[in-house]
Amino acid sequence: MGASMSISSLFGKLFGSKEVRILMLGLDAAGKTTILYKLKLNQTMTTIPTVGFNVETFTYKNIKFNMWDVGGQDKIRPLWRHYYSGTQGLVFVVDSSDHARIDEARTELHRILNDLEMSDCLLLVFANKQDIDGAMDPQTITEKLQLSKLKERPWFVQPAIAIEGEGLTEGFGWLSDNIKKMPKYGGK
Amino acid sequence: MASTVPPLRRTSSAVSHANGESLRHRRSLSTIPSIRPSRSPQPPTARMPDMGRSSDPSLKAKAPSTATGASSQHSSLSASAQPRLSGAMHRPHKLRSQYPRGSTENHVEYILVASFDIDKGPIMEHQYPMAITGDEHMLAELMLPDQAHVRNQDWTIFFLHKDTSQEEDDAERLAKEERRARRNRKRDRAMGIIHESDEDEDEDEEDELEEDDWDDDMSTDSEPDLEGPPLVYVLNLVNTKQDKTVKRGAVVKAMAICTRHPFLHIYKPLLLLALEEYFKAPVPETLAMLYNAVNEMDLSLMPKLSLLERHLLQSSENKDLFVEKFEAMIEARLAETAGVDVLQPFDASSAPPRRPPIYRSGSRAHIEGHAAHVVPRDTHEFESKVMYKGIPIPIKVPVAVMPEIVGDFSLIKLIQNFSDSHSKTPHTFPLHPHLTTNGPNTHPIIVLINALLTQKRVIFLGHNMPSGEVAEAVLAACALASGGILRGFTRYAFPYTDLTKVDDLLNVPGFIAGVTNPTFEHHPEWWDLLCDLPTGKMKISSKIEAAPITEGLVYFQQQNPAYANLVHTSASGSGSSSNSDLTGDAAFMADMHRSIASRAGERVVRAKWRAWVLKFTRIAAAFEESVYGASALYIGSDEQEASIAGAAAPAAAQGHGYVWVDEATKARELAGNVTRIEGWRNTRSYYSFIQDAARLYTIRPLKGLDLAHLHDRLRTQRLGAPQSREIYETLAQYVRSYDDICLLLSVAPESQAGLFYVALGLLHRDRDVRHWTAELLGRVAEHEAGQHWWRSLSRFEKLAYVRVRKEAEAEEARARGEDRDGEGGINLIDHLPSPVVGYERTGRRLPRWCYSESDMGLPGGPIPYPSI
Repeated sequence: MGASMSISSLFGKLFGSKEVRILMLGLDAAGKTTILYKLKLNQTMTTIPTVGFNVETFTYKNIKFNMWDVGGQDKIRPLWRHYYSGTQGLVFVVDSSDHARIDEARTELHRILNDLEMSDCLLLVFANKQDIDGAMDPQTITEKLQLSKLKERPWFVQPAIAIEGEGLTEGFGWLSDNIKKMPKYGGK
Repeated sequence: MASTVPPLRRTSSAVSHANGESLRHRRSLSTIPSIRPSRSPQPPTARMPDMGRSSDPSLKAKAPSTATGASSQHSSLSASAQPRLSGAMHRPHKLRSQYPRGSTENHVEYILVASFDIDKGPIMEHQYPMAITGDEHMLAELMLPDQAHVRNQDWTIFFLHKDTSQEEDDAERLAKEERRARRNRKRDRAMGIIHESDEDEDEDEEDELEEDDWDDDMSTDSEPDLEGPPLVYVLNLVNTKQDKTVKRGAVVKAMAICTRHPFLHIYKPLLLLALEEYFKAPVPETLAMLYNAVNEMDLSLMPKLSLLERHLLQSSENKDLFVEKFEAMIEARLAETAGVDVLQPFDASSAPPRRPPIYRSGSRAHIEGHAAHVVPRDTHEFESKVMYKGIPIPIKVPVAVMPEIVGDFSLIKLIQNFSDSHSKTPHTFPLHPHLTTNGPNTHPIIVLINALLTQKRVIFLGHNMPSGEVAEAVLAACALASGGILRGFTRYAFPYTDLTKVDDLLNVPGFIAGVTNPTFEHHPEWWDLLCDLPTGKMKISSKIEAAPITEGLVYFQQQNPAYANLVHTSASGSGSSSNSDLTGDAAFMADMHRSIASRAGERVVRAKWRAWVLKFTRIAAAFEESVYGASALYIGSDEQEASIAGAAAPAAAQGHGYVWVDEATKARELAGNVTRIEGWRNTRSYYSFIQDAARLYTIRPLKGLDLAHLHDRLRTQRLGAPQSREIYETLAQYVRSYDDICLLLSVAPESQAGLFYVALGLLHRDRDVRHWTAELLGRVAEHEAGQHWWRSLSRFEKLAYVRVRKEAEAEEARARGEDRDGEGGINLIDHLPSPVVGYERTGRRLPRWCYSESDMGLPGGPIPYPSI
């Protein structure tokens, strides 16, 4: 993946790629920061809880992603809304092994998507931590999160093991393809 | 004690305390100032004309003698008949400590510890000596700044606003008003002699209780009437320690010190030690140890300076300025310990019989341990220490603390940060009449100060920067706009804030905030000016409110049709104002860059900004006088008519205000400033400046004389001999007391030309002027601060002084009939090199009223000047 990314970043320069703002949210300890740095650096970092946020820019498939990773503790979730404006894609990360909090994750997800400022954005769900025994499969995650309720919005659930980097390329592949289809992206 | 005092102010929430003692410390604090109902902007025309005539009604009530025109109200004016040189040498006030021993006020009020809980986010762990009331979760959030997890260590600063409804504040205010009332009573009793209080022995005890006149009224934030109770400043250190043994691999903890001292940066080394200690021992005792250590810090030998003295010290590079006061403090302490009566006012002229030697810090005697107390190496900083766990931690406390100067920051750094990229590729700003006063290429620092003056919402963004650096930029911006003159910036400053506070922040009309989260940039509706620290670029918001067309602007254009099109309104676009630097700001910034490039120190740069702010207020006063017919920004025109004119003073004494070379220059400069002056009117800093001007007036020396005006005339105008004579006469006649001379020195700062223009009077072709000037300079040379100004006069001016003194002595001798021609005197003069020739060699041009070489005691006598 590292090699293909560097080639595409060259293309990005040639074609003057647009910057797409991506917001990555999810409950605390879901693996958001690990995903961010795996994508940015192609390295598995030992992450510690995010105080506030992380933001990184990287290019993939000729698209420059400006990706925000915001801390997930419940007390700081009300801050998420400040990041909505201008967001084109939401990456929602779920700890697939955390059965106890999957309903909490659903509530938070729908609260985000119901915000007016998020009405046009794409949804990519990473069903993370698939390597852990008893992890819910993508189908279960889809049901638990009640994604079928989303009507117009393009969404996609990608199983992933962030520490291995597994599934991330596929997820961002879906995101890139769909971003290119967005009228906003073509028009901008 | 506090609860027995009836509250003066209506309390918005009733707070009951079972234990009266706990009242002393429990306060409700918030990070956002309580928003008062905004003043409805008064129609300027309706209000201004009578403000000019009667100034402030309360002012008249406070100082009745000013209205009756009793010139004896001020000692220096009444004493003008008999010169009192000794009075000018030393400050007649009793020298006091800034932080006396036995004071009940602690240096540090609270110590807090917060941590980032992996499940709950920021939480408060401990508070000492007791919990701060109010939203502790909000405090914990501020103590754990965004991205604390990506760095091992970070500093933040934030301010807390005490809840105004607390009874303690009422008690404090009552005590203060009591002091003030007592002072007023005494002032009346003493028939208006303000500064002679030390002579009244029987009032000594009362005197002890009193605050210094100048200080009490003008100190930083101690004025609750206008702005609310004093701020609590918080210095916070956060550490992230990777720890494999804990869940999720790291521990993030923060410790904060809450103090009312604006010099909170002195506690940095202690916080480093104490937080480290807390990681080892996370118990309240660790907080208590720090609390006790810092509160035992002894600052009692730091002398208290008056407002003028603080101004002088702040803008001087001299490390010895006011060293006498430090010595006097030590002397008094030594005398006290030796059991000598110290009720006598300190007076270095009456040298004590056995004066123990006082050593300078760092001197050999000091290092060898001979001295118990030492005078600081640099009088700008008082040296003390804090004993923490048996280790003495050296502390340096700034001696001259000015309003709005909080913490440790660098104006030079701020200026360079936003100048470098501009000098390479000039920014082009979208036009806004309040901000882009020099057109689209207005210097960013000028855009910034304009934004602050016109009360815009300013954000400093430092993505990936330690939050401490962002906070420093905010503190520097406050100091930039204040100059130690204007107020109302720090109170609305949020040196570090984050998204959790954004809703509260947006309720504040006009703020200065520091953030590290780039999300702020995506919300142009949250700010008017965004200053991006990493790139050094500023952005004016696309959603900024347009500047209204105000009456003042319209009047100005009607009154000055020839200059109307120079005024840069949104309608006229940039017009010609963009090219011609009407405001002089482009030249000012160019000079600033030259100073910084030539390694001018921080103090020089701050002094230059102070001069800029002062000039702005004086131009605003001139603008209001010319457009509205009166201005409350300058007080004193009444006084001039009442007392000085009555005493048959020279006509020059009656002028006031900013001085321009001619009317056209004035009109052009006003045209360049109209929009931002109009934007400044109706802001917090404008109103507090008016209040300060009124209050300052009641306590300032030389009421009714505008020394700055007189000095400016000497400096900028082409005067004839009679006009310059009048000015020198006025200066020599009135500038006599200690405070008078402080005032003179403050209008002639060392960073500009010092006393150069005053000393030029020594070269006046009029004999009287030469002699008056020499007398005046003689007084200055004996003055505690003036001696340093005297020393930095050029040798030509000192030479001229010697000649004039000799000339005077010779005349006296002749008058006494002791004609000792040939025994020095006149002959000596003839042998001294001519100061005039000396001047001309320096390339400076002397004013035309100076004598020429041939005047100098040469045969033939003075050549009459052609009257041009």
